[in-house]
Amino acid sequence: MSNYGTTTRHHPAAAAVKDRGTDYHTTLFRRLSWEGTVPLEIRVDPNELPANSDRGLECYFIQAPRVSYLPLLMPEIRRFLMDVVFDEAAAKVLKEEEWWFECDDGTLLKWHWPIGLIYDNHSILATIRPGSSAASTMATPLRLILHLASPPTDKLLLSPSAESCKQAFMGQLKEADFIRWGNTKRITGLRKVDQDGLWEGIKEHNFDDYWRVAAKVTPTTSPGNRPHSPGPPPSSVSMHGRPPSADAAGPTERDGAYNVRSVPVRIYLPDGPVIQDLVPPILEDGTPHTLSHFLSTHVPLLFPPRPPAPPPSRSNPRPQAPSVAELAYALVQGVLTPPDSEMAWLGACLAGADGWLNVCVGISRK
Amino acid sequence: MSETANSEATARALPSWAAPESSDINDEALKALETYKKRDPSKVVVRFKAVGNAPIMKQNFYKITASNRFQAVIQFLRKELGWKAGDPLFTYINLAFSPAPDDTVSNLFKSFCTDGHLIVNYSTTAAWG
Repeated sequence: MSNYGTTTRHHPAAAAVKDRGTDYHTTLFRRLSWEGTVPLEIRVDPNELPANSDRGLECYFIQAPRVSYLPLLMPEIRRFLMDVVFDEAAAKVLKEEEWWFECDDGTLLKWHWPIGLIYDNHSILATIRPGSSAASTMATPLRLILHLASPPTDKLLLSPSAESCKQAFMGQLKEADFIRWGNTKRITGLRKVDQDGLWEGIKEHNFDDYWRVAAKVTPTTSPGNRPHSPGPPPSSVSMHGRPPSADAAGPTERDGAYNVRSVPVRIYLPDGPVIQDLVPPILEDGTPHTLSHFLSTHVPLLFPPRPPAPPPSRSNPRPQAPSVAELAYALVQGVLTPPDSEMAWLGACLAGADGWLNVCVGISRK
Repeated sequence: MSETANSEATARALPSWAAPESSDINDEALKALETYKKRDPSKVVVRFKAVGNAPIMKQNFYKITASNRFQAVIQFLRKELGWKAGDPLFTYINLAFSPAPDDTVSNLFKSFCTDGHLIVNYSTTAAWG
């Protein structure tokens, strides 16, 4: 089975990303999210299995990188099916460009969503179905059904080729760049070989190759460019970030996560809409924009704003805000994310390879 | 027979946390999800601008329902231009990037509107790769 492993392991002892003083913790979180994988079970639709297929083996398990895409798994899946399941006659007739995936709950899987996002979104969805149980759905493979013909092209929106997936990926990178800086100069300023290098890094699942280029377009989080919080709001703070004087420290500061116009973020509700809006890294009052503020602004019914803490008294010098019943939780890269996480930091350290911070909202159990 | 019954009993003897009732999902949260699922009937102004050799549209301002996906905008544009299936058409926002076809007009408008319009550029060749 080792023939079928796609995940090329790179564990260089040195070769850390040395770019613009990327600090240890930033690199650590970027590497952790990059190395994250999810279990998938891929089963050919039994009604579509060609004659003479080996029916005992039509199921394939794979531990897929979160940052990868379904079209990039196709060569490995095809190799397995052709070698082990289909006979030669069937292998000749099958057209890979007609293959498509469905989740076992009947939802189509889009070619251009990162695999980690598909996994989180569907795992959450499974927990709120009637009769579901949290335990039965956590850490089990996401069950995918592979269809071999008649793709519903109008719903898949994209052809299954790696090339069209790459185009969609580049589009997302540029959109993220535009959200951060108001233009796409950082991405379009990359040489062609570097632009291609980003995609190759994903394809080969090589952290160092990807970040060698990505470090040029991703905001930095070096110590010192984070604002002191909570501080008195400087008079010139606007939603576009910090006062111009903050740029005096040089390029690191100018590219800092807290200096972007807005963090590229999308909220994914289970089976519901995807919500996107401008997310300034610093709020009007000069404090960093936190995940809890962001969620209670955009999905207040699920994340009701916390009532303010009572005024401090002698017996209670540091009063806590009264707690409210937790209705929902947020996953970033499959990880339960603390409400006081700062959006700018999340965007720089836990965004997907396409530059987008994907916040998947799940529903809490009583 | 008794063996089957036994194994079933074993399979069901899960700790209580492993098999909670579906009713332990908060109703208030499920109601909130239903509210967010409702489609936004409001409309936003989309302004189409031709790039390069693409034909210019006589009318280029349209009010489009905000909850539509960008894919619907592309289909609308193809129809207005009289494009046949397979005729190449590339669409961009603010001369900068191609959005994902499943993103909504509402999301794009909130993030990228200029002077109250969402500007959609269209071209017959790939312009900003």
